[in-house]
Amino acid sequence: MHSNDRHEQELKLLQLHLIGKILAGFTHEAKNYLAIINESVGLMGDMVQMGKSSEKDLSEYLQIIRSVEDQIKRANEQFRALNRFVHRMDSELSSFNLNESIEELIALLTRFANQKKIALIKNFQEDLPSLYSNPSLLQFIVFSVLDEGLLKLEKDSRITIQTAGVDQAVQIKIIPEGNVLEQESDVPSVPHEIVERTIKQLHGNIVREGGGETLIVLPLTAS
Amino acid sequence: MKQAGIKVLIVDDEVALANTLAQRLKMRDLQVETAYNGEEALSRLKQEEPDVMVLDLRMPGMQGMDVLKEVKKTHPHIQVIILTGHGTDKEEEEAKILGGFCFLKKPAEIETLAAKIKGAFSEKCAKTP
Repeated sequence: MHSNDRHEQELKLLQLHLIGKILAGFTHEAKNYLAIINESVGLMGDMVQMGKSSEKDLSEYLQIIRSVEDQIKRANEQFRALNRFVHRMDSELSSFNLNESIEELIALLTRFANQKKIALIKNFQEDLPSLYSNPSLLQFIVFSVLDEGLLKLEKDSRITIQTAGVDQAVQIKIIPEGNVLEQESDVPSVPHEIVERTIKQLHGNIVREGGGETLIVLPLTAS
Repeated sequence: MKQAGIKVLIVDDEVALANTLAQRLKMRDLQVETAYNGEEALSRLKQEEPDVMVLDLRMPGMQGMDVLKEVKKTHPHIQVIILTGHGTDKEEEEAKILGGFCFLKKPAEIETLAAKIKGAFSEKCAKTP
């Protein structure tokens, strides 16, 4: 098999892995929201059956309704992020906002970070110019760097994701802060060579600096 | 058997879920406390031992399966019901091997959960002299 074909095949498999991981996290979150709504509605049913209708009870009903509304709002944000994430794959190249594309990835990965008590901190430059590139591949590259950070860091750490504009390009800096595990809990899900070949497809560059920092530079136009 | 005497500890990082479940189980005459992570749950056991623990699996920090292991090591009489949104068959099997009483998936019917808690309590009474 030609090496480009092999790379494409490996890349597709790894992208499927990313989608699978995101869907696993998403369905877990969705089930939690449904469980809370289910219990809240059940609680109101219990209260009605017990004939609770005093002034104090009415205020409790309102509190439960607000909790249900809050869960629906949280679920809606996750659905929105997932919907936008999957539509990034609609066309190979498109014009998009870098901050928004990273933001939705972070929203979908936050559950995994929370599990390890690792905070994902956004430090985005506002007013970045639009990129004309492959948003799906870019999200894949950022995912691979974040995933590696999540595997390497001990709990109670943080990973800062910075974006900035430079001459006809944008840069994404990913800075892990915290203690590194003596033994990684798992091997990185995306091999570095795949990440490097993928960034070249976008005419960009990736540099892994000392201290675990990673700098990704992308031209404003990939074509 | 007196149901009102059953002491339950709900362990779930979803605060709203843990609190609402606790309220509904209290309406069913159970004595219910809540803990919002694994570490807090284990520390609670030093103060008061519940009869039954209702335990989530995926939580920040200490995971539910590690809490189950620790509980069974230090307080083997406590019956543990796993209540999870995302349990796999493998995890269900593991929980069983570790001594979990049963494995329920969220959202569970409150009457099912209450019945399982009573069943777990009966099992505890049968095992403890």
